[in-house]
Amino acid sequence: MAIFFASLLWPAMSLAQQGQGQASEEKPPVAPVGRAYAITNATIVQGPGRKIEKGTVVMKDGLITAVGAGVVIPPEAIVIKADSMFVYAGFIDGLSRTGVTKPKEEKEREREKVKDPGNPPAERAGITPQNDVRNVLNPNDKSVEELRNLGFTVSQVVPYGNFLPGSAAIVLLGGKSADDMVLVNNSALYSELSGAQNVYPNTVMAVMAKWRELYRNASLTKSYQSVYAANRNALPRPENDRILESFYPVIDQRIPVLFKSEKVMETQRVFTLKNDLGFSLLIADVKEGWPIIPKIKSSGAKVFLSLELPDEIKKDEKKSDKKNVSLPAGQAGKDSVKTEPPKKEKPKTSFDLEKEALEKKKKDAIASYTSQASEFTKAGVTYGFSAMSAKTKDIQANLRRMIKAGLSEDAALAGLTTSPAQLLGLSDRMGTIDNGKMANLVISYKPYFDEKSKVRYVFVDGALYKMETKEAKKDEKVSAKGNWNYSTDTPQGTATGKLVIKEEKGSYSGTITNSFTGKEVEIKNVELDGNKLSFTFPYDDSGNALTIEVAVEIDGNTFAGTMTAGPNGSFPVKATKDPKF
Amino acid sequence: MLIKNGTVLTVTKGTLTETDVLVKDGKIAQIGKNIAAPQGVRVIDATGFFVMPGIIDAHSHIALDAINEATSPVTAEVNEGDVVNPLQIGIYRALGGGVTAVHAMHGSANAIGGQCETLKLRYGTLDNDALKMEGAPRTIKFALGENPTRVHGGGNNIVPRTRMGVEFVIRQAFSQAKKYSEDWDTYNKNKLAKGFRGAPPTYNLRLETLAEILKGNIIVHCHSYRADEIFMLLKVCKDFGIKRIVFQHVNEGFKVAPELAAYGAMASVFSDWWAYKFEVYYSTAYNAAILMKNGVTTSINSDDAEMMRHLYHEAGKTQKYGQLSDDEALSLITINPAKQLGIDSRTGSLETGKDADITIFKNHPLSIYGVPQFTIVDGIVRFDRANDPADMRLMPDPKQNMDDVYFRDKGRDNCMDGTEFLFGSSAEAGAKAGDSLSDKK
Repeated sequence: MAIFFASLLWPAMSLAQQGQGQASEEKPPVAPVGRAYAITNATIVQGPGRKIEKGTVVMKDGLITAVGAGVVIPPEAIVIKADSMFVYAGFIDGLSRTGVTKPKEEKEREREKVKDPGNPPAERAGITPQNDVRNVLNPNDKSVEELRNLGFTVSQVVPYGNFLPGSAAIVLLGGKSADDMVLVNNSALYSELSGAQNVYPNTVMAVMAKWRELYRNASLTKSYQSVYAANRNALPRPENDRILESFYPVIDQRIPVLFKSEKVMETQRVFTLKNDLGFSLLIADVKEGWPIIPKIKSSGAKVFLSLELPDEIKKDEKKSDKKNVSLPAGQAGKDSVKTEPPKKEKPKTSFDLEKEALEKKKKDAIASYTSQASEFTKAGVTYGFSAMSAKTKDIQANLRRMIKAGLSEDAALAGLTTSPAQLLGLSDRMGTIDNGKMANLVISYKPYFDEKSKVRYVFVDGALYKMETKEAKKDEKVSAKGNWNYSTDTPQGTATGKLVIKEEKGSYSGTITNSFTGKEVEIKNVELDGNKLSFTFPYDDSGNALTIEVAVEIDGNTFAGTMTAGPNGSFPVKATKDPKF
Repeated sequence: MLIKNGTVLTVTKGTLTETDVLVKDGKIAQIGKNIAAPQGVRVIDATGFFVMPGIIDAHSHIALDAINEATSPVTAEVNEGDVVNPLQIGIYRALGGGVTAVHAMHGSANAIGGQCETLKLRYGTLDNDALKMEGAPRTIKFALGENPTRVHGGGNNIVPRTRMGVEFVIRQAFSQAKKYSEDWDTYNKNKLAKGFRGAPPTYNLRLETLAEILKGNIIVHCHSYRADEIFMLLKVCKDFGIKRIVFQHVNEGFKVAPELAAYGAMASVFSDWWAYKFEVYYSTAYNAAILMKNGVTTSINSDDAEMMRHLYHEAGKTQKYGQLSDDEALSLITINPAKQLGIDSRTGSLETGKDADITIFKNHPLSIYGVPQFTIVDGIVRFDRANDPADMRLMPDPKQNMDDVYFRDKGRDNCMDGTEFLFGSSAEAGAKAGDSLSDKK
């Protein structure tokens, strides 16, 4: 398993700390409640298809108190001039681990060996439905700020783990404490159809068998407890069992079961359990729902579609193919005396044709994933979105890809606001910009779904968050060139190294070292856009070849940002330039 | 559909030359000469071709997302029916070998493994239930000998470590199930009494399933090799009143063929596979023929995604090793496996009223030149050699790199899949274990 990147216990630090050196106005307000704000002269998109030009939104005590073109601004309100900006209801994410602290992963050899793998302690088996996500919720976790910066104000969050990790809660992406964040506690019982490592239940089939057994036992125990409660005389006392008790609200249909349900088979297996046991169901992070829309529709399950999409096939991949075909430069030089023969298209070999067919099929497959949301809209299925497995930096672009693939902007907005509010039973409190709703707003410079649209302000429960804008610094000449000393925090400790970036005619290259591997490798795909520097490099993680993606923002002689190790997550990186070079 | 003018190998009712087979609503409606094609019905000209029942593989691990729940010596509660994966390309490849139904089994890591699923190869659907043969009896996998002792005794230092231990584990499981069943019967009986108040027994899906075996509602399919352990399980079955038992692999079945026949136990064997581990050194290619001549209902299986594509060759070997007749040899891969799965009233031979599971061969299927041309499941052509597209994947992986070409899904289709972690710490050792332990164990 990954040693370097496998797990992350986020210290509440990184950007928050670094931010202190920057403009102090970027800090969130201390006491949001009681404050009044008025956003004036903005285009207000109250909900899908409901637009007010040059309107004002007034908020007080965490609620929206007035919306319209000619509303009175109370004297105590702080006025935010939002000329030419766009205001939307705060976005709602149906499933993620935003703000949830990831437990430190124990290495297999460090864990106590289970004597009988067929009968492990419940925790090792992943059977901890009694776990309360509030105990692992941290408003200062970097993920809260990251998702909020995109306009999300509310998430349904769950603990880490497999099988039955604990209860879900609907939380605000703001606040000072876990309790501050929580809007709805125990909103659902969370489950994944994934097994435990090396102990029972290890496979999906054992997970499903155990699910049935737990649920049926909970039903039996629950009804015996009510028999006992009615008249305890001469009856053996029922046993207390926190695991089984966690199922009671599900059995009573007071809360649904929330399943992560990415794949087409996984979703159908969840339906099998639902049909066997009869609980009400929420499926989230659905990625392959498009081939089984009728089945999903008839299941009656509430649906959250994943904001993750498979990568598009990049156009420059084709370019590099062509390069391989053409003669190397040196060879062309030798033959320079001869006139070059006129370029002719080589006849396609059967290999080429097969490759083309495979590429086309792959492209079609990607298109199917991308058009999932619009297909659900066409089929009349109400759905929200979930950010669970999407990289935060891709979410806006992925929404644009969905829109390009046929999703209307109104439908996309509904999936981010009104529909999730409805599915989570929160329509009376959020989803639109109307009087009496919670003051959850997102304000962007351009229409939210426009290319390069940026979020300027987010209100969560009436508290203002300003997004850092680096436009002002555009004039400064940003240079990536030089020798950087970087450090990055991982659960295995801090890794350090040297990053050397060279520039030649506007294109960058370089090398990077790492104190964990002690090796130097070349960096690739180096791009500098304004002050945003990104590159990738290969990392050998105990035999697993990983590509690490680095995205940082340069500020003079320092930079800060994140390193992302594919599915292993991302973690903070910062660096200073070595002045000697 | 009308299959015209072929040589019809019914297997149970002889061979009929220049004969037609009429298919209606997924069933065989009529077999005879000069049947007129009803209006609008597709006609397949089978002149010069051989028409036989679809091949049935009584031991397979295709179309499954999990094979071994190797964490416990008894896992009767797990069910392969929960993890059927109709997307696997191996299903289409099996159709290319004339196979129409398979017994998708749990692996052999546990003394009592999981329940298995009988599948019809209706390739082309994404519905996880659509492959399941509706109404097929429930079956369950048992395993004796080296695999369960190595996994649990060797791997985890728990019972069973020896063949004696395996017997103990099975007897203990059945005894517990008997007690469990009695407890529930008592509770349910008492519950009917007026004014009854009391606690129900703890629900246990494992014991619940084992109790169903004792009631005769689940057919036992037991991985086994040695004559002594086969005889042992016969005694266990006798003691607990279990009548429906099929031995799988049964390499030493020839030593106890009369005993198997007397008990009514059946056998599903390899044609000529042996010596891949110690307990299979004493084997013979005459096994199938000896079992059959002793009156044991015998089939030949693949336990392997590749071999299942030419089970007709495997059946043909019994004509070299045992001089079986054509019908006897064909019965090994058609009606006999159907009997072992309890689906012989529906499939396994060409008879009016049976499901239209049909394979059409160019050249006789027992000839080395036999090549399947059409494979028909429930009256639908699922494989047509003349129209065999290059890419039959149902859901290509949008993240898959084009350069990755695997001719075989590693560890996907073998008996000991999912147990690698017990035999080595590094990934390399795991892969090696997967290789050397694969398949025929």
